[in-house]
Amino acid sequence: MATTSSNLDTKTETSVSAPAAGALLVSLSSLPPEGLEAMLTHLALAFPESPTRENVLVASPDAGHPILGSTAFGSLRLLPYTAVAPSINTLTLSAADYLNTFQIMQDHQAAACLVLGPESQSLSTEALRALATAVLSASVDLAVPRYRLGPRDALVNSAILYPVTRALYGARTRFPLAIDLGLSARMAERLAAVAQSFTASEQSDAILWPVAEAVAANWIVSEVEVGARTLPQPPSIDLNALLAQIAGSLFADINTKASVWQRVRTVQPGRPISMDAAPADGWPDVTPMLEAFRLAYTNLAEIWALVLPPNTLLGLKHLSLQPSASFRMSDALWTRIVYDFILAYRLHTINRGHLLGALTPLYLAWVASHIILAGSGTPPEQHIEELAATFEGDKAYLVSRWRWPDRFNP
Amino acid sequence: MWQQVHTALSQPAHRALYKLASFLPGIVALLLAIFLLTVIGAALAALLRRILTAMRFDERLSRSHTIASITNIQDWSPSHSPAVLLTRLVFWGCVVLGFIIGISAFDASYSNASDMTVILWPYLAHSIGAIVLLLAGNLVARFLSRSVLISAVNAKLQYARFLSLGVKWLVLVLTGAMVLDHLQIGGTVVDLAFGILFGGIVLTLALAIGLGSRDLVSRSIEKSTERLPDGPAPLDPVPGDENLKSPTPIDTLRHF
Repeated sequence: MATTSSNLDTKTETSVSAPAAGALLVSLSSLPPEGLEAMLTHLALAFPESPTRENVLVASPDAGHPILGSTAFGSLRLLPYTAVAPSINTLTLSAADYLNTFQIMQDHQAAACLVLGPESQSLSTEALRALATAVLSASVDLAVPRYRLGPRDALVNSAILYPVTRALYGARTRFPLAIDLGLSARMAERLAAVAQSFTASEQSDAILWPVAEAVAANWIVSEVEVGARTLPQPPSIDLNALLAQIAGSLFADINTKASVWQRVRTVQPGRPISMDAAPADGWPDVTPMLEAFRLAYTNLAEIWALVLPPNTLLGLKHLSLQPSASFRMSDALWTRIVYDFILAYRLHTINRGHLLGALTPLYLAWVASHIILAGSGTPPEQHIEELAATFEGDKAYLVSRWRWPDRFNP
Repeated sequence: MWQQVHTALSQPAHRALYKLASFLPGIVALLLAIFLLTVIGAALAALLRRILTAMRFDERLSRSHTIASITNIQDWSPSHSPAVLLTRLVFWGCVVLGFIIGISAFDASYSNASDMTVILWPYLAHSIGAIVLLLAGNLVARFLSRSVLISAVNAKLQYARFLSLGVKWLVLVLTGAMVLDHLQIGGTVVDLAFGILFGGIVLTLALAIGLGSRDLVSRSIEKSTERLPDGPAPLDPVPGDENLKSPTPIDTLRHF
């Protein structure tokens, strides 16, 4: 089968200049007044006075805020707008965000856009400029930020989103579900088209997967170092519901793009990553997570047996008997669990809501294992990279079971 | 005397044979109607399957986000294929239609004065309804028990399995009572027994949950009455009671 070319840009944008001529739309999410003022200040610094500044348009849904009428930000073109579709998702960019952004791009004929999520005022001016420069370059269609987060942040991304995206689509974007993105005009159009199908069915808060869309279209994806960023707090800390929503969206997207990821063979070359060991102390107690996993093993083993093959079940049995101090879920075991759940989602082995609910305790077991490993001195990023490599190496298992679900069952 | 015995035996035999003779055409009509409609149903189902396969019906349905119940349709479809579900619906619909036509034909050809007709056929219809109720009740019981089990496990309830079994048996007892009521078996005895049993199960569950969660409830009430107006709620005390759990460290992690 022919391989697709890897149109993935490995450049790391660290020091850049103001964007060249060409309209750039900066689409902001709803911010509190002080946050909006800080954001506009950063944008004014990121795109200083120059002929090109005329082409930077800042759109904000906070239409009624008086600051948008002020001239304190020089010639930064401020545009209050009313959303075409309501955006209620505060954790990730939703279908409504993409649709709203594309509508404004079309109205003002912008060549590229930055879509910035909640708490975007925490992004530095260099980060904003780097994203803009990446997406305004002739070749890049999707600029994905690489945040500098702590070892306790974005654990679902580390456990599932990043390894799966890297293995299936060959994209080493550390945060495939980034809350800030740089989009070219055609990328924005493609995402808006996908978003339209969700908003038409009253699913404005549906999650889209831009990296997968870009790979499917064979367009350029670039990762940009943006440094630290404050991540928005989810409105509810119900891990079960959030994990079900995000994992379910990912699994559904994998289902629809099966013809794409099964052909991907090449993976974006690696970039230097921080291998700093995390501090030995200050880690949360993993006992509640281990108790949750052991309780789930006692009660949900029958349900897991419908989804997971005997080898994996045996691995979980051994895992449930491990003492807390040396609790370690191997990368191979977690990889097989995730792949088997993706398959079960596709095959409707059990009700999808039940399937995603049964994933939560397994995820908590992985988190506990990751924390114990990090606390023992292993750099967290090293563990994540090894995990992602394991996902890559075991992709053939997923492909085989996908194509022959009845015949291939180790 | 033997002549009278012979007459007494032959007359009922003649009547029985006469009834059988009038009964048989109806049976033949019934079987013929079922057979014909089954064949027609099979042909229609095959034709529909070919049309839906040519249209790639399943793939279009799975790609379409405009139908909000897509997931539910595929979840409930045999082999998770809505096309197969449709074809089977068509086939069994024709079979049921054949039964209806056949029963009507049988009823028309058989004597309406017969007590057997008045009693048997309505009861047969009720029986079919009872079977459907039983199947539906079982499906609902299994679905609900699994939902409760997973939710309770994720909520770290130690009695998750007990709760799940309780919900399952609640639904099954309710289903059983509905089936018996539908078949008109037992009358008020079944109603009373159901009420007592159902109430007993609910009371047992309420006691188990209430007793098991009494500390949690009391802490919750204390929190709401002692909450400071200017600051966060006081932290939960950590006594030696093993049932009390401190705020989970999971909340200090950022999963997203």
